[in-house]
Amino acid sequence: MVDKNRRDFLIKTGIGAGAVALAAQGAASLRSLVPNVSYDAPTTVKLGVPNDFPEGMRFLPDQRLFVFREGAVFHAVSAVCTHLGCTVRAEALPAAETKIVEGHPLRLTHQFLCPCHGSKYSGDGGNVSGPAPKPLAWYHLSLSADDGELVVDLAREVGREFRLTLA
Amino acid sequence: MTTAPTHEDVPIQAAPGVHRKRFWSVRPASDRESGDAIASNFLLHWFPAKSYKPSLAWSYSFWLGTISAALLLLLVVSGLPLLVLYVPSVERAYGSVKDIEYVVTFGSWIRSVHRLSAHLMVAVVFLHLARVFLTGAYKNGFGRGQKREWNWVIGVGLFLATLLLSFTGYLLPWDQLAYWAITVGTNIASSIPFIGPSVREMLLGGRTIDQPTLIRFYVLHVIFLPAGVGALFGYHMWRVRKDGGLAAADRAATLREKAPSSPVPTKTYTLLGVARGTQPWVRISSTETKDLTVSSVPDLLRRMLIVILGTMAVVSILAVFIASPLEEPANPLVTPNPAKAPWYFLWLQEIVTDTTIRLGSFTINGAFLGGVVLPGVLITLLTIWPWLDRSPREAAGVWFAKTRWRQNVVFLILVLFVVAFTYVGLVMRGPYWHFYWPWETWPDLPTRI
Repeated sequence: MVDKNRRDFLIKTGIGAGAVALAAQGAASLRSLVPNVSYDAPTTVKLGVPNDFPEGMRFLPDQRLFVFREGAVFHAVSAVCTHLGCTVRAEALPAAETKIVEGHPLRLTHQFLCPCHGSKYSGDGGNVSGPAPKPLAWYHLSLSADDGELVVDLAREVGREFRLTLA
Repeated sequence: MTTAPTHEDVPIQAAPGVHRKRFWSVRPASDRESGDAIASNFLLHWFPAKSYKPSLAWSYSFWLGTISAALLLLLVVSGLPLLVLYVPSVERAYGSVKDIEYVVTFGSWIRSVHRLSAHLMVAVVFLHLARVFLTGAYKNGFGRGQKREWNWVIGVGLFLATLLLSFTGYLLPWDQLAYWAITVGTNIASSIPFIGPSVREMLLGGRTIDQPTLIRFYVLHVIFLPAGVGALFGYHMWRVRKDGGLAAADRAATLREKAPSSPVPTKTYTLLGVARGTQPWVRISSTETKDLTVSSVPDLLRRMLIVILGTMAVVSILAVFIASPLEEPANPLVTPNPAKAPWYFLWLQEIVTDTTIRLGSFTINGAFLGGVVLPGVLITLLTIWPWLDRSPREAAGVWFAKTRWRQNVVFLILVLFVVAFTYVGLVMRGPYWHFYWPWETWPDLPTRI
């Protein structure tokens, strides 16, 4: 009886230990697939000196970003569709119009269209039609202190009243 | 001290007429053992000894399952040289596919065989699924121990695996189609509340589409998914045998029993057989009647080989004439306009376009509703359907059985929707995914900025 209990205990311990070991090894193998380091592109990017930007709009494919200039006033709108992440294309409006956005006037020169599922955005990034659930993001712009280049922070979304006005 | 004679001490006595063969795994020592060896041999029982004629009929199953299996075989075989020639690296994937297409001798043909088999497999596996649904063949008929509903579930799994294999496959050339398919596909995963972004990061192996992404999808495509399909396929076939063959066979057996027939030869083998009968003999089962069955070898085998050979011939010849497309190299900077998925995902692309719902200030992203919820509901319904189907078992294995007409109509309407959405996506969507009638011409827009 004593012997049988001991054997029983040892068998169960062995099976249990085996199961735990397999589970731990399986978990370790799966955990190795979760990246610990992400080699993302930096989110703060220098875009060049402000004077290189033309009046109106310029598309920066690497950052998937539209930079708008109206004299000394700059703002930047993301080109990443909020639906499923395709890059929207800018289409110039036949005539520029001025719209009050978040209490500030904004000169709209373009509209944005997504080639993947047909979302349409107005010049301020607002989602007008199609499946896009929210407006295009606006990103923070600043001037770098060392060389005066325009700097965008792609990790910092800002409201649509944001403007960078150069002195 | 005497010990019991061990195995080595006793010379193995072969049964009369059994000769030693170097490659035989068993050496039967008696007639009984050799009989058992035959009875338990898997390869000798791939087929039953007898097959019902109705289940061999071309017009019952259209042999779609066999065609799917033949296409899978073609995919594995044509995949082997591609496995050697393709380089799963972001820098070199596109170049290696281009080399396969334009430099490697017969490379273009091999790639076409692989691609056409994949496209056909999606279609044929779906048609097979539709056939099984419309004939109610996931229903248990009159055999004992049947679990056809579970084979249906495995079948749905195989269909999904086929789609995943296609998806992971067309990513590998790392052209524009691949890059933007990954973008859209993983953003659909990302739209799941709470866990979405982690799922996307896990799929991509990071937060951006890069080398870790390609190698992940590559390993899925060449190891995990084929292994999964192999295992499911083996189980699928085994269950077909366990369930007594195609559902049409069940029906044939019952029809036979009901029909008043001339006395068939009778025989009994066991005491139990005698005991269970009302008379001291057991009526021979209809499986053995000559007018309903044929020997599986050669009748079933011959038809199977014809189907496999036919499939191979069709694909091989088509592959000579239909070249596989290769878009521009993957360019994260430019989304093609319009960016279209392969035909079998176009209905989904159309659905994610149409399902963004706005209720006041609250918006449900079509990516989640159309890309996750709706397909999820469809797949769940498909999976549990055998348990929802309350039709009598006589409906198993009958095309458009009267007792199942409502569900068949609903199924066909859903299929019609999918086909219609596919058609809209294929023909009626132009630049910026704008709607155009087939007779309208698309505006001439630059494809690049």
